[in-house]
Amino acid sequence: MVDLPEKKIGIISCSGEGCVEGTISRVATRQVLEKLRPEETVTICLPLFLAGGKEERAFAKHYPTITVDGCEKLCAKTATERYSGKPASSIVITDLTGNPGCSRSGRRKLDSDALGLAEKAAEKIAKEVDEVLDHWR
Amino acid sequence: MSEYLQTVFDKFELRVHKEYHYTEDGLWAKIEAGRVRVGLSDFLQRTGGDVAFVEVVRQGSAVERQAEFGTLETAKTTVSLLSPISGTIDQVNGILSEKPELVNSDPYGEGWLAILAPRNLEDDFKALMNADEYFELMLKKLETEHEKLEVR
Amino acid sequence: MKTTMEKKVIVIPCSGIGKALGSVSREATYEVVESLRKGVTETICLALITSGDEETLQLVKTNKCITVDGCPLQCAQKNVKLAGGELAASFRVVDTLKENRNLKPKSVTFLDRDGQELASLLAKQVAEKVGELLKE
Repeated sequence: MVDLPEKKIGIISCSGEGCVEGTISRVATRQVLEKLRPEETVTICLPLFLAGGKEERAFAKHYPTITVDGCEKLCAKTATERYSGKPASSIVITDLTGNPGCSRSGRRKLDSDALGLAEKAAEKIAKEVDEVLDHWR
Repeated sequence: MSEYLQTVFDKFELRVHKEYHYTEDGLWAKIEAGRVRVGLSDFLQRTGGDVAFVEVVRQGSAVERQAEFGTLETAKTTVSLLSPISGTIDQVNGILSEKPELVNSDPYGEGWLAILAPRNLEDDFKALMNADEYFELMLKKLETEHEKLEVR
Repeated sequence: MKTTMEKKVIVIPCSGIGKALGSVSREATYEVVESLRKGVTETICLALITSGDEETLQLVKTNKCITVDGCPLQCAQKNVKLAGGELAASFRVVDTLKENRNLKPKSVTFLDRDGQELASLLAKQVAEKVGELLKE
C-alpha cells in the first residue's frame, strides 16, 4: 500500500475579479501551490465551494485551512466559517498593501509592484502553512 | 456495502468499481449478457481533465485488443482510447456528443463509451486486471501522477 | 461600486482557481469589460454575491447578468441564480474550446498563448451578446 501524505493544508483564495487585490490573492495562492509548498497544500476552488462542491467542503471540514482574501470583505474566510469551520489562519492582502479598500486599476494584469506584493503574500502564506503544520504535528 | 473501492488523495475521492475489469491505461470493461460495455476509470477521467469531445469508431467497426478505437479530447490533452478487448462495436454512447461531461461526472455509469460484441471474450478478460489489482496500480500511479488531478 | 450606477450588463466569471479554464473565464471577462464593451459592462466578485453583500445583490438583481463559467459545473451560473440575479445569458469556456479544438490551455496562474487566444475568442462571443442585450 502506498504511503500517501496525510498532512495537507487547504488554501482558499478569494480570487476576486473586482479588484487588483483579488488578483494578487489568486496569484499568491497559486505560487504557494505550484512552487513554495506543492506537497503540503491543496487548493480549494471558492466558486465550487460556494456552489456546494462536496469534496471542497469535506476537505475544509477535516483538514486545516488558510484563507486568503483580497480585501476586508473577507469572502473566503466567511464562506469557510459558514460551510466548513474556522480557518487555521487568515490573510488579507490589503493588510500587506497598507491601503484599505479595493483598487480596480491593474486588476487584469499585475504590474511589477503588484507582482512583488504577490510574492510577498506567497511567502507569508507559505510561512503560515509551516506554522499550521508544526502545530498539527 | 459500497460497490466501489475508494481512496481519498488530498480532497479527491477516487473510486474503482468492484465489478468491472481494467486495462493498465485505465479503461474498464463490464460483461453484460454476452456483450461488453467499456468506459473510463475515475482516475483516468480525473487526470485527463474536462472532456470536450469523445470520438469512437462507428458501429460495426472491428477493433483489436489494445488498439485505438477512439479518442477523447479534454481541455488540456488528447487521450487515445485503447480497446480492452477484441470485437465489433455494437453501440456507441450517442449522448456524449452533446454531453461529453458525463465521462467526468459519471464515468462508471452514464459516461460509458461503447458496447462491443466480443470476439475472444475469455482470453481477453484474462489479460485484464480485476478491481483490486487496478486499485493497487492506481495508488502507485498517484505517487507520480497526482499533479495531474483536476479540480472538479 | 456605486449602487446608483447607470444600467450596465454585469459579466461574472467563475474564476475557478484549480484549472486553466477558470483563468480563461476571468481573462475573457476582463477583455469584455475593459476593452470590447468598456463603459457598458462591469464585473463583480462572485463570492460577494454568495456572501450576500447587499450592494452586490442589488446590482445583480437590477441589471442584466452574463455568467462565464470555466467548466460544466457552472458555479457562476448556479450562484447567480441562487441569489436571484437577473441571468440573461450563460457561457462556458468548454463550449468555446469545442469550437477551437487546436487550443489546449495548460497554464493556470498566467495564461499561455492558447489560453489567451481562447479567452479572446470567448470575449468576442460575450461582447456580441452584450450588444444584443443592450438593444433590448
